[in-house]
Amino acid sequence: MELSELSLAAAADAIRTRRVSPVELVDSVLDRIEQVDPDLGAYVTVTAERARRSAREAEHEAAAGRLRGPLHGIPMGLKDLIDVAGTATTASSRVRADHRADTDSTVAARLAAAGAVLVGKTHTHEFAYGLTTPQTRNARDRGRVAGGSSGGSAVAVASGTATFALGTDTGGSIRVPAALNGVVGLKPTYGLVPRHGVTSLSWSLDHVGPLTRTVEDAALVLSALAGHDPRDPASLSTTAADHRPGPGTDLTGLRVGVPRNYYFDHVDPEVEAAVRRAIDQLQALGARLVEVEIPMTRYIQATQWGLMVPEATAYHEQALRAIPDLYEADVRILLEAGELMPAGDYLRAQRSRTLMRQEWTRMLNEVDVIAAPTVPATAVPTDQQTITWSDGTVEGVSDAYVRLSAPANITGVPSLSVPVGHDTAGLPIGMQLLGRPLGEAALLRAGHAYEQTTPAREPAPAA
Amino acid sequence: MSADELTPLEAARWAARVGLPLEDARHAEVAATANHIHSVVSVLRELDFGDTPPAPAYRAGEEKRDGTV
Repeated sequence: MELSELSLAAAADAIRTRRVSPVELVDSVLDRIEQVDPDLGAYVTVTAERARRSAREAEHEAAAGRLRGPLHGIPMGLKDLIDVAGTATTASSRVRADHRADTDSTVAARLAAAGAVLVGKTHTHEFAYGLTTPQTRNARDRGRVAGGSSGGSAVAVASGTATFALGTDTGGSIRVPAALNGVVGLKPTYGLVPRHGVTSLSWSLDHVGPLTRTVEDAALVLSALAGHDPRDPASLSTTAADHRPGPGTDLTGLRVGVPRNYYFDHVDPEVEAAVRRAIDQLQALGARLVEVEIPMTRYIQATQWGLMVPEATAYHEQALRAIPDLYEADVRILLEAGELMPAGDYLRAQRSRTLMRQEWTRMLNEVDVIAAPTVPATAVPTDQQTITWSDGTVEGVSDAYVRLSAPANITGVPSLSVPVGHDTAGLPIGMQLLGRPLGEAALLRAGHAYEQTTPAREPAPAA
Repeated sequence: MSADELTPLEAARWAARVGLPLEDARHAEVAATANHIHSVVSVLRELDFGDTPPAPAYRAGEEKRDGTV
């Protein structure tokens, strides 16, 4: 196994025991970037010199016995919506061609303090307003979509060009590409990870979180990210905590909700079969399965759009008037049309969110975790615009990809996507675990137990 | 076209009213997209909100304080 393929936990252990130096690890990842990224297009910018310099500093500290923690010397990619002082935050847009961040975002600063090494900024669907990330190709099949909007981050982690990465998630943008590329993605509870210095798509729905190779890795990154920051008005008053799951795989006592509606409707049969097998595995580990009814499903898309569309349009108000031609066509038209939404629609969506939150709170009193597919289909070919379901219903690809992930954005509950196998074409399938607000521990425990007791995933594809 | 849909000209006037002048060539496309968005969000009118206040954003802390989570 190449160093670039190690999990974060394995790499951290190798650095801690001085079997591998941060310089070797970062060089391995940079070599891998040179080898595969021209084809995959995960990165907007590769900060190779900066990474080598940081790796040497991390190596000096390690040699002197000063280890900052499990992220010490670990190569990472940051979605290019996340400010890093002295570099551009392009949002993968010509609108930001001349951008330069003056200061670090909270998450970039916390990761730097934890010793992580930035190797580059990863592609996003322009300003995170889309589910495919057209600049980037799927890590398993270059002819298929990467998913989005954090497509670059997911492909980087899946292809060995970052040991971990950060993404943002407004309707599923961490979990969708994680599922489509076979990696782990965690959307934390709304407000747990500060968003100061992160370009917004929709303030009331935006989250920042990790994409990693294992659930344990996601827990390690979350531990470095979480904690109050008054510069994000949504930031919760939580203190730093160690989110790493324990080593045990016994899930006795855990109540796993299995939706009887919504999450298995209009889902590819191979996706459903893989997720149900994974749920059976949770049961085999001691979890008790409880059927649950997902509330207010008729209003999920309406609520998501009623919140996101006007908030995104508001964020881009000035640029849309000054330099509209610099936006890609798909994003420009959504921003323009968003200008025409009445305030009444936005308020109805906010009031619907109140009702949905109350209903989800009731449902989550009955179970500890809900298990469901992350996305209803695997990665589609890049030129495919719609999915036709077995009953003849036609659904837009982006609508389908966001359908199962949006509820966690509206309600703010944490959601973890875990790889649970592949379809017959070899494309990855993801299972989503949803929990109570600030219930990350239950998700990480269940996901980690699942990972520990299922066969190892396939290695990253050859270049 | 149903009565609650915007025509291209109406979309252009609404856009102008919010300070977003649109080139003629964009009127039809913006109207079509705005009408699609409207068709999605208008389903919320079915809900009986009563005294339900808006939730400007999700606050996990509030859920904990009221003891329901």
